[in-house]
Amino acid sequence: MAEVLFFLAAALAIGTALAIVLVQNPFYSVLALILNLIALAILFLLLNAEFLAAAQVVVYAGAVMVLYIFVTAYVGGSDQPVIPEGGVLRTIAPFFAAAIFIELSIAIVGSGLTMLDSSGAEISAGFGSPAQIGELLLSRFLVPFEAASYLLLITAVGAIVLAQRRRGLEEAEL
Amino acid sequence: MKAPTIDYLAFAPILATLGGSLLVIAFALARASFVQRVVLPGLALVSIAVAAAFAVITWETGDQTTIIEGALAVDALALGFSLLVYAAGIGAIALSLRSEIARDAGRGEYYALLLASITGMTILVAAENLVTLFVGFELLSIPLYVMCAAAVRDERSLESGLKYLIVGSVGSATLLYGLAMIYGATGSTDFAGISAAIGTGVDATDPLLLSGIALAITGLAFKASVAPFHQWTPDVYEGAPTPVTAFMAVATKIAAFGVILRLFDDALLSTQLQWGPALAALCWVTIIVGNVGAIGQSSLKRMLAWSGVAQAGYLLAGIVVGTRLGAEAVFFYLAVYLLMNIAAFAVVIARERVSEHGDGLRSLERLGEASPWLAWPMTIAMLGLAGFPLTAGFFGKFQLINATVSGSYESLAIAIVIGSMISLAYYLRVIAVMWMSPREIEIPAAPGRASRKVRPAEGWSPEAGAAAQPEVTAVAVLCAVLVLAIGIFPDPLFDVARDVGSSLAGFL
Repeated sequence: MAEVLFFLAAALAIGTALAIVLVQNPFYSVLALILNLIALAILFLLLNAEFLAAAQVVVYAGAVMVLYIFVTAYVGGSDQPVIPEGGVLRTIAPFFAAAIFIELSIAIVGSGLTMLDSSGAEISAGFGSPAQIGELLLSRFLVPFEAASYLLLITAVGAIVLAQRRRGLEEAEL
Repeated sequence: MKAPTIDYLAFAPILATLGGSLLVIAFALARASFVQRVVLPGLALVSIAVAAAFAVITWETGDQTTIIEGALAVDALALGFSLLVYAAGIGAIALSLRSEIARDAGRGEYYALLLASITGMTILVAAENLVTLFVGFELLSIPLYVMCAAAVRDERSLESGLKYLIVGSVGSATLLYGLAMIYGATGSTDFAGISAAIGTGVDATDPLLLSGIALAITGLAFKASVAPFHQWTPDVYEGAPTPVTAFMAVATKIAAFGVILRLFDDALLSTQLQWGPALAALCWVTIIVGNVGAIGQSSLKRMLAWSGVAQAGYLLAGIVVGTRLGAEAVFFYLAVYLLMNIAAFAVVIARERVSEHGDGLRSLERLGEASPWLAWPMTIAMLGLAGFPLTAGFFGKFQLINATVSGSYESLAIAIVIGSMISLAYYLRVIAVMWMSPREIEIPAAPGRASRKVRPAEGWSPEAGAAAQPEVTAVAVLCAVLVLAIGIFPDPLFDVARDVGSSLAGFL
C-alpha cells in the first residue's frame, strides 16, 4: 500500500512540477502548484511527518495558494512570452540545466539505491507529532525559531516601506 | 521537558541590535522632527555601540563551547566578524544621516531594517547549525532587498531591489538545497555533528555530500558575488541608494565570508581535498573577471562593484587553503577592505550630492584642488585597494599571498598578483582624474564603444566643499587615517586576526 502510494504521489509531484514551468497560462501554473504541494504532503505522510503534511495542506495548499490564485486572476496573464527569444543565455542555459540534472540524479539516485535493502531510518514513537515538533522549536531550535518570528516582523516593516511607493511623495516630506 | 539554558551575556550582542531595531520602530511613531532626525539614528548607533561593547567584553580566544543548545558560537571568529559588521553599520548610519533615502523610506523603518540586517549577519557568522545559518542568511537578505528598492524617487532603485530579490532568492534556494543534502548525507544539522560524521560514517567522496557542498558553495557565492555568480552585482550596486550600496558592499561580504569560513574550514574541513580545487578555480575566475570588468567603467559605483568582485576572489584564496593562516588573512583583509570601501563610498556620496555627474567618474574631476579633504581619503582608499605599501591593503594582500604559498596553493598567489596588476589600471585612473589638471582626460571605453573625450566640469558650487557634509567627510577621513595607520603599524590588527583564527579547532 505504502509503495503504491509513494509511486503515485512521486509521479504526481514530478508531473505537476513540470507543468508549473511548462504551462503557458500562469493560472494553470498555480493550479499545478497546488497539486504539487498536495503530492508532497502525501510524501510527508509516508515519512511519518503527519503534522507537516497537515500543515502543508492547510497553510500552503489552502491559504497561501488562494492568495496566488487571486493575484493571477486579478493581474491576469500577459501575452508576452516569459523568456525573450534569442540570446546567448538562452542557448547555453539548457546545457547547464542538463549538467545539474545529471549531477543531482547521480547524487540522489546513487544514495537512494544503496539504501534499497535496508529498513530505513529508525524513528522513535511519537516522531513528527505536534508535541515533539513544538518541543524542538522551543528547545533545540529556539534561536532559529525566534529569529524567524523576528524576520516575519521585519518583512512586514519592509512591506510597509515598499507600499509607501504607491502613496506618493507628499507625506515623505518631513 | 526542560527549557534550554540561555547564556544572556554571550547572547547580548545579538539581543542589543535586535532590541535596538524594535525600539527604533517604536520611537518612529513620534513624528517630531527632532525625534526623526536625531533620536532614531542616535538610538541605532547606541544599540550598535552596546552590541560592540558586549562583543568586546565576552571576547575569548580559542575554541569556545556553543550556547543555546548548539545554535550559536560565541568565539572570537563570531565576535570578530560581528565587530566588523558593526563598524560597517556605524559607517552606513553616518552616511545615511543627510541622505534622501532615509527620509524617503521613513527614517524609523530605514534604521530598523538596517539593524535587522546587522542582526542577521551576526547570527549568520555565529551559526553553529544549518538551520540557524539559513535563518540568519534570510534575515540578512530580506531587509537589504527592501532597502535597495526604498528610494521612492528613483526607478533604478526599484529595478535594483527587484533584481537583487530575484537573484538573491535563487541563491537562497540553492543554498537551502545544498544544506538539505549535507544534512541528508551526514544526518546532522550541527556543524560539530557534520564534522564528526564525515570520515566515520560518511565517506568524504559521498556523492550526496559533495553535491550538497557544491550547491552550498553556489548559494554562498551569489551572496559574496563570486564569479560566475556575480552578474547582479554592478546593476544592483549602481541602482541602490549609495549609503545602502556602501553597507551592502562591505557588510554582506564580511558576513558571507564569515559563514564560508566557519562552514568550510570548521564543519567541512575534512573534505578540503574535494572542495579545495573547485574553490581555487572559482578564485581564479573571480579575480580575472572582476578586474577585467572594472576596467572601462565610468560609474564609480559600478567600478567599486566590479572591484568588489575581484576582492572576493582574493578573499576566496584565503578560504581555499584551509589553514589557520588563511583564516587570519581573510579576517585581516576583510577589516581593511571595510575601511577602504567605506572611505571610497563616503567620497562618492559626498560628490554625488553636489555634482551634476552623479556617481560618474567625472564627478571627481579636479577634486584635489577643490576639496583635498575628500580627495586624499579617496586616493588612500584607491591605493589601498590596489595594495600599495604603506597602506593597510598591502599587508592584507601580503597576508593572503603568504597563506596561499604556505598552504601550497602557489597558483593562487600568482592569481592575486596578476589581479592586482590589472587593478592598477582602474584604481590609478580615479587618482589621475582627481589630481591631474589636464583639461582633457581620455577615459578608456568599454570594448565595442568609441573612446570619449571628457571635459572638466564648469564652475564650482560653494556647497561642494567638505564643510557642507561634515559627517560624510569625517567618515572618509577617519577610514583613510585608519588605512594608513594599519599600513604603518599593523600589529594590533594582526593580534585580533590571530585570536579569530584560534577559534577554528580543526587547524593544526
